Amino acid sequence: MKTLEAEVIVIGGGATGCGVLRDCTLRGIDAILIEKNDIASGTTGRNHGLLHSGARYAVRDLESATECIKENRILKKIAWHCIEPTGGLFITLPEDDPNYHNRLLEACKFAGIDAKEISVKKALSIEPNCNPNILSAVWVPDGTIDPFRLTSANILDSIERGSKVCTHTEVERIMLKQNQVIGVQCYDKTAGEYLEIYAPIIVNASGVWGQHICKTAGIELKMFPSKGSMVIIDYRINNVVVNRCRVPSDGDIIVPGDTVSLIGTTSRKIPYDTIDELVVDDDEIDVLLSDGEKLIPNVSRARVLRAYCGVRPLIAVSGEMDGRDISRGVVLIDHKERDNVQGLITIAGGKLMTYRLMAEMTTDLIAKKLGNSKRCLTHKIPLPGSEKRVGYTKKIKYFSGIPNSVVGSTHYRHGERVHNILSLKKRNYGLLCECEMVTLGEVEYAIKNLKVNDIVDLRRRTRIGMGPCQGELCAYRAAGLFTEFGDFTPDESTKLLRDFLEERFKGVKPVLWGDGLREFEFTYWIYQGLFGLGLVEDNNT
Amino acid sequence: MRYDCIIIGAGVAGLTAGIRCAKEGLHTAIISSGMSALHFSSGSIDLLGYRDNTVVYKPFEAIDQLTGTIAQHPYTKCGKPLIIEALLFFKQECELQGLFLFDNGNLNHFHVTTLGTLKPTYFSQRSVFNEEVYSRFKAMKKIVIINFEGYRDFHPQLAAAQLSKHALFANCDIVAKQIEMPQLQDDGKHPHEFRSVDIARIFEKEDNIEKIADVIRLAADDADFVVMPAVMGITNFNQIHNKLQSRTRLLVYEVPTLPPSILGMRIDNALKSRFAELGGVYIAGDKVVRADITDDVVNAIYTNSHPENPMEAQCYILSTGSFFSGGLVSEFNNMYEPIFKLKLHHEPERNKWYNQNFFHSDSHGFLQYGVLTDESLHPYDSNNNIIQNLYCSGAIMAHYNPIKEGCGSGVAISTGYKAAGQIVNLLKHMS
Amino acid sequence: MIKLENISFDHCIKCTVCTIYCPVARVTHLYPGPKQSGPDTERLRIKNPELLDISLKYCSNCKRCEIACPSDVKIADIIQTAKWRYSKKELRIRDFLLSRTDLMGTFGTLFSVIVNFFTHLGIVKYFLDVIFKIPSGRTFPNYASGTFTRWFKAVRKQQSTYADKVVYFHGCYVNYNYPQLGKDVVKVLNALGKGVILTKEKCCGVPLIANGYIKKAQSHGRHNIKVLSSALSDEKTKIVSASSSCTLALKHEYPNLLELDNSPILNTIAYITQFILEEFEKGNILSLQPLSYTVAYHSPCHLERMGSAAFTIELLRKIPALTVKILHSECCGISGTYGFKNEYYGISQSVGNELFRIIEEAKPDFVVTDCETCKWQIEMNTKYKVVHPISLLAEAIE
Repeated sequence: MKTLEAEVIVIGGGATGCGVLRDCTLRGIDAILIEKNDIASGTTGRNHGLLHSGARYAVRDLESATECIKENRILKKIAWHCIEPTGGLFITLPEDDPNYHNRLLEACKFAGIDAKEISVKKALSIEPNCNPNILSAVWVPDGTIDPFRLTSANILDSIERGSKVCTHTEVERIMLKQNQVIGVQCYDKTAGEYLEIYAPIIVNASGVWGQHICKTAGIELKMFPSKGSMVIIDYRINNVVVNRCRVPSDGDIIVPGDTVSLIGTTSRKIPYDTIDELVVDDDEIDVLLSDGEKLIPNVSRARVLRAYCGVRPLIAVSGEMDGRDISRGVVLIDHKERDNVQGLITIAGGKLMTYRLMAEMTTDLIAKKLGNSKRCLTHKIPLPGSEKRVGYTKKIKYFSGIPNSVVGSTHYRHGERVHNILSLKKRNYGLLCECEMVTLGEVEYAIKNLKVNDIVDLRRRTRIGMGPCQGELCAYRAAGLFTEFGDFTPDESTKLLRDFLEERFKGVKPVLWGDGLREFEFTYWIYQGLFGLGLVEDNNT
Repeated sequence: MRYDCIIIGAGVAGLTAGIRCAKEGLHTAIISSGMSALHFSSGSIDLLGYRDNTVVYKPFEAIDQLTGTIAQHPYTKCGKPLIIEALLFFKQECELQGLFLFDNGNLNHFHVTTLGTLKPTYFSQRSVFNEEVYSRFKAMKKIVIINFEGYRDFHPQLAAAQLSKHALFANCDIVAKQIEMPQLQDDGKHPHEFRSVDIARIFEKEDNIEKIADVIRLAADDADFVVMPAVMGITNFNQIHNKLQSRTRLLVYEVPTLPPSILGMRIDNALKSRFAELGGVYIAGDKVVRADITDDVVNAIYTNSHPENPMEAQCYILSTGSFFSGGLVSEFNNMYEPIFKLKLHHEPERNKWYNQNFFHSDSHGFLQYGVLTDESLHPYDSNNNIIQNLYCSGAIMAHYNPIKEGCGSGVAISTGYKAAGQIVNLLKHMS
Repeated sequence: MIKLENISFDHCIKCTVCTIYCPVARVTHLYPGPKQSGPDTERLRIKNPELLDISLKYCSNCKRCEIACPSDVKIADIIQTAKWRYSKKELRIRDFLLSRTDLMGTFGTLFSVIVNFFTHLGIVKYFLDVIFKIPSGRTFPNYASGTFTRWFKAVRKQQSTYADKVVYFHGCYVNYNYPQLGKDVVKVLNALGKGVILTKEKCCGVPLIANGYIKKAQSHGRHNIKVLSSALSDEKTKIVSASSSCTLALKHEYPNLLELDNSPILNTIAYITQFILEEFEKGNILSLQPLSYTVAYHSPCHLERMGSAAFTIELLRKIPALTVKILHSECCGISGTYGFKNEYYGISQSVGNELFRIIEEAKPDFVVTDCETCKWQIEMNTKYKVVHPISLLAEAIE
């Protein structure tokens, strides 16, 4: 049986886990990260990518709000290539409480968030596609953050500095010796073999799956999974974050994210045993679209690209029942104190954009336990890609010869690392994904450097298949490259293709109407009709 | 504008019907809003490939069974004798335009797909199936699957791996090779930007064929059979095929790629030029948006470009295709046929339109949805009355799944032929 | 961020058919094709206008992509809009002059003898090439010695004697370069018992749009809608044009590209061959003399876009003894002012090659086409003369 050793094992490749790995690495702590699927495939990859100003929580949850604005400013420095500082609006619709915005402004002031009221005319000039009948508007420093880029950059930095990451590896149990954790036993799904990793400290950063992980160590950790669904509009219908100025409820935010917009969200309590079989309900889609339309009228004309849902990993600190009201604050548990199990730490709660702070808190605790006195540097050292802050115009000039749309898109996704990806060799900048301008060079870079095990992973690192065609042309093109750049046999590549199409379909089927249905019919014609991909396993006539 | 017959939709169904009408001397117009699904098809004609997920070897026997059991299937409305007549008609009309279609008597044959799977079909083009291919494939010792360096839409290694698994090729060595397109001056469009049409156009330049043939010959080594992506030209493909085979002294076989489909475009060109030759009027790029119907008779139709100028005919054929082509429209919780508002067969609940997985063995419900018709291919309006001078054909019809059954083009040809036949009889009878 | 009105790019299902039929993408690697320049990159341009690819300027606006598109995406409109909305405006004298057809036309007809002489002189063409980047290979059309509107003054009184009227939008070509066509139109309409009314029209705006002068095009559009609608005496009066591009502009470009409300005139505009055929169907038939020519018919891109090429073909077939060879639909390459610019000249000539070849193959007596710029292109590149279908019809009327 294969074994590994480290000082710290981080379970969970979401933003928090990756952040902990990086923080440890920067402090010279030997850490390994284990993730049962792909990085950012859990809740991290299933939220609406909002870089909160904190205004949303200012009224109800001041602590959260204050954390948010601080981290907002830090992330804009160290992770600028993962962020778009679009700004945001809180708009009051005719049917909403016209005085809520005053409460909002006051609370923001308290929390140190520089929100300011602006005229309706100004709001409409900032966001011309917004509902023209709004009563008032408040500008806030919201932005958007891409969770895939963020986690990918954290992982890349850690790997480049010597740490190890094991994806598609599932922890089966935590191993204990008396009351001390000694390591984990896991199963490597890719290699198809068991693996044991020994370490005196284990961080449970597995989000909503934490309840199960802790159980293997005999610990009760009650979670309140709350499902939140989102729909993606296939193009950017707004350029700034648009929030509805009222008490937070379903469907009151539309977030632009790269080339699409996301309408969110809902909050439905779900039983714990269903967290791996989440389904978006039709009534959720209904509410998101009808409420979204109130914010931005074009929603009614736009194609709905996908619908997906994530689970909020909320831990009850003191017995609340409804997912929305449980504190979204950070929960850091030293299980030595709580359960008399030495070496196990759980970090949960919070939100995507406070990941760094959560990681800092966790690593401070780890460092204390290990007697490491190095200070946290994650707020100072920029992530790979965010080293130098250079805008599009200069990059486009640098790579002149390659179309602007290609340079811009690659730079947008990888920041400074664009220099490792694009070259003036024509083959390198040939397009695979024409919707999102993903080049062959980018796919090669991702497969070779960014821990890509299948086309679904590839999609998270490059946006391939995330545009309107949902992989129609690029899926096949990419599949062949796994044989070329990765260690995959042709048969494995064909299987990857099939798996990718199945994964894309999961998000497409709840919204299968209109142009989405047409797109699917076309894709189905190609891959089943023309290619006979569905026949691949049983082709023995 | 007045015609004897107006056909809405220029896919296989519409063009087959148009050719038949025009040939019988009817003043026929075809109105099309955009190019048809032939542009991403396999370029073969599928008659009936599968029944209950099992491969069909004898399609006419299977059609007999089908017409005896599934009353609503378009084939049942046509009947086997008419289907046979329609196929023969189609083959002959294509031949008149230089597009030769080959079949295996009353058996299906198989063509190799992009992924190297084998799919049953009935008619194929010469570079996909012919007597020589059929007689020699069992004795093949080595097959080389080539791709042109940089062309993204075909991965020969995937096809080779898949094809090798097939029992038929157990004693055959199948290899994949990337070859470089010979240095062609021209405009320097780079291979990594090529679509199939770009390569096809390179093949069509007379001066290039010999150089290309030599490169293929070199790559083929000791193989006797060359499989390449279908890029052998859109117009003079027969000539190119001959030249390649004679210069390389190898059998050259084409495999369809990601769209655009060169094989499909050849059929599209042949049908359209045949229609034009017969005096048919082809109106491209215009969309029929509404119809004027009184007492179950269509009086006129109106298009996007001519919203107030009626186009009138004695009879009309609706062959506007499925959702992709706009013949059927779906909304959040509803679907409809946009021009005549015809009665549809479909499930009202959206979650029944699809199955749980992309490659579900039962395919997806929506592929079976479409317009309901009677025995004569007349559709019903929303009040359940048949519209007397309107006929439907092709993918807009309900009660068959073209992909699951492997019968898309067969249904299109048969129903197009039948609809045209009905009209010809009616109008000639009247005059 | 712009206010999104034309969101037809949303319907694109990436089928690539548009790029197959794009004549420019076929001949040059500099243009990635309408799919990429249009719906694909529009999503990126919305996000950030800096992501504009300069290669989209090679689009000639022939609209064949829109004809091929099964999803109703207004691809060419998206690209034209991107050209003037996002790209840097370069005020070039050449583009200004090429697009101000009324200005140039007025000047040209006043001094036609001199202007025509000079535009054919090699040294002048060389000068135009070097200074203004107008290709020296391009033959300039001649200016007439007097405008069509001036000629019409003489017949206006006589036109008012007809009971039924038709408003004729003559366009710049007829007015400044070839009034004979206008006279043929009047002759044919009179033969049908219709009197002709002219309005104080301005250039339809097509060259202005092509060169990015959108505000000016909009002002021309508003003016034309106004004068045309006030010339409609009753709901049965029609407006006809014998120029395929002018008709396209009045019907399609005004609402779709220029965002003008043309509802006062939309349902009354007809391309002339469609109008004549409809008259025939109502029983208002012309008696036509046989013309035993063999002609090759070329359908202009903009006419096809309006689904109206079929009407011209039908009409030609009604002329007794005329042998009509319908040429396979190909773009001639000139695309209006596109072929008058150095940077596109090579492409424009390459695009037209296929058409020139099939014309030579058909060996007609002459070529027939509805579009004036197609006529210039074909006459420059083949040995054949080009005649407008209405002129042929006029000849057949006695």
